Amino acid sequence: MRHFRTLLAHELRSAALSWNTWAAAGLFLVLMGGIHFFALLEGSRAPSDRTPVESTLWFFWLPLLCVLPLLTMRTFAEERRAGTLAALLTTPASAAAVVWAKFLSTWIVWVVFWLLFTLFPFLVEQRLGTPGDQRLSDPAVLWGGLGFIVFSGLLHVAIGILCSCVTRSSALAALLAFISLLAMTAAGGALESLPIESWEWLGWLREPAAHLRTFGHLQDFAAGILDSRPLVLYGTGTLLCLGLAVLSVEGQE
Amino acid sequence: MNEAAPLPEAAVVAEKLTKRYGDLTAVEDLSFSVAPGEIVGFLGPNGAGKSTTMRILAGTMSGTSGRASIWGVSVALDPAGAKRHLAYMPENNPLPEDLRVEEYLTLRARLKDVESARVGERVRKVMDDCDLTRRASGRLIGQLSKGFRQRVGIADALLAEPKVVILDEPTIGLDPHQIVGIRDLIRALRGKMAVLISSHILHEVEQVCDKVVIINRGRLVAQGRTEDLRRELLPEATFTVVTRADEATLLAACRATEPAASVDALPSADGWNTFRVGLPAASPARETLAGALIAAGISLRTIAEDRFGLEDIFLAATRRAPGEARRP
Repeated sequence: MRHFRTLLAHELRSAALSWNTWAAAGLFLVLMGGIHFFALLEGSRAPSDRTPVESTLWFFWLPLLCVLPLLTMRTFAEERRAGTLAALLTTPASAAAVVWAKFLSTWIVWVVFWLLFTLFPFLVEQRLGTPGDQRLSDPAVLWGGLGFIVFSGLLHVAIGILCSCVTRSSALAALLAFISLLAMTAAGGALESLPIESWEWLGWLREPAAHLRTFGHLQDFAAGILDSRPLVLYGTGTLLCLGLAVLSVEGQE
Repeated sequence: MNEAAPLPEAAVVAEKLTKRYGDLTAVEDLSFSVAPGEIVGFLGPNGAGKSTTMRILAGTMSGTSGRASIWGVSVALDPAGAKRHLAYMPENNPLPEDLRVEEYLTLRARLKDVESARVGERVRKVMDDCDLTRRASGRLIGQLSKGFRQRVGIADALLAEPKVVILDEPTIGLDPHQIVGIRDLIRALRGKMAVLISSHILHEVEQVCDKVVIINRGRLVAQGRTEDLRRELLPEATFTVVTRADEATLLAACRATEPAASVDALPSADGWNTFRVGLPAASPARETLAGALIAAGISLRTIAEDRFGLEDIFLAATRRAPGEARRP
């Protein structure tokens, strides 16, 4: 992991100056602003168990599928296309250092996006106050939900990085990331919706399906339940994807 | 007492290097070496395997078999160790378009283990050496001309004062002024760094390099100093003779001096005949031919020994079968 800090500083600086990051940030804020606006409208029409912030967080999959691929698509695909990745690897910097630096910088940008989102409930509370006995946000739910998004974001970003490693086309990398993240987010729900209970020969799927409940994980985190199983799932998934990404970069000729 | 690390016998060693892509053999059984401080031209027709060989030496591609080492360090077994002694400029010199020259060189200096305290000094030095300070240091690389981009690539190669520099077509796409500039830069490296340089501009290579390695279809066809290769590959000395005499008269006069002499007619004009006279390279008649022809009563307007350049050597070497080359 030689030169990791140098590479990380470079990647963060590049991300801050890249039009791509600013476009993704704009799209993210428009999406989340719109969702939060409609959640507030909905909340004002009828009382609900969920606060508008909780309802907004429930749509975390939308920026995950539409914005995160924009952040990860260029990390390796563009460098491979331009040949700058090969030039970078002629220095003593290792492929692992390059992969981890790009991964961590993208994850930091993703976290910053979500921290920006926390301004919405704050600004709404400032402008509207707390109307009647209705709560616009619950800090525990907000930070619990964000904790899930940030932690699962490690795996989501790693998937995007891996997709960018396997192609020279940024557009294809974005498409691959979109499909992979969609499959990952929907897999748990899809498996749960199957009548597994009535299919004995699919009984072995019950346990893995329970582990892959992305929305269940969000619910648990927001409720303050810290289960070690999703932590292991996202942690090991992240390491696996990054390991494959390192192998992919090392094997490029 | 500190002892300086001993110099390796060879800065670059390629030993029986082979690279195969399925059925296609890009490089086969290729062996050559570059001594410390030596500038070596690496020549071959398009598709001969030059870039592949350079990439294997630079550690950006693995060979199928054989051994490559940089400053005594195996590229395959210790790639990071080998890279610490090496700077490599690939053929198309890929550079990030969105960085300024000084920022890019600073980043590269840090990645190449230049001491933190010396990064600024080294960046300024290579920018001065490559004439980048005044006209390019603050500009985005994407806005630079081809010539300046090549200079940035060479500045990057020199940053960490490597023991070995590998430059793949550093003058490609440059105008004559820029080529002269790059040539002077490379020439200034003689004795300081071992340089392996590939180029299609043979005249430039001849002026800059101490030695050439010529490959064809992935195999070594010749290597050595230009003079030695000239003797090896072009064993005949030739003279251009412009005279009133006809071919038979000239041949008779030449054969009287050197029985193995040959005469070929060339296009003539103004009533003068032009011939190419061939003599064995070791023949003493090379020094006496002009006098012998005059003594034979042949009127001469011009007699001059032809000078074979690297281009002639290259053509002769790439025409012969692979495997005929002498081993290093």
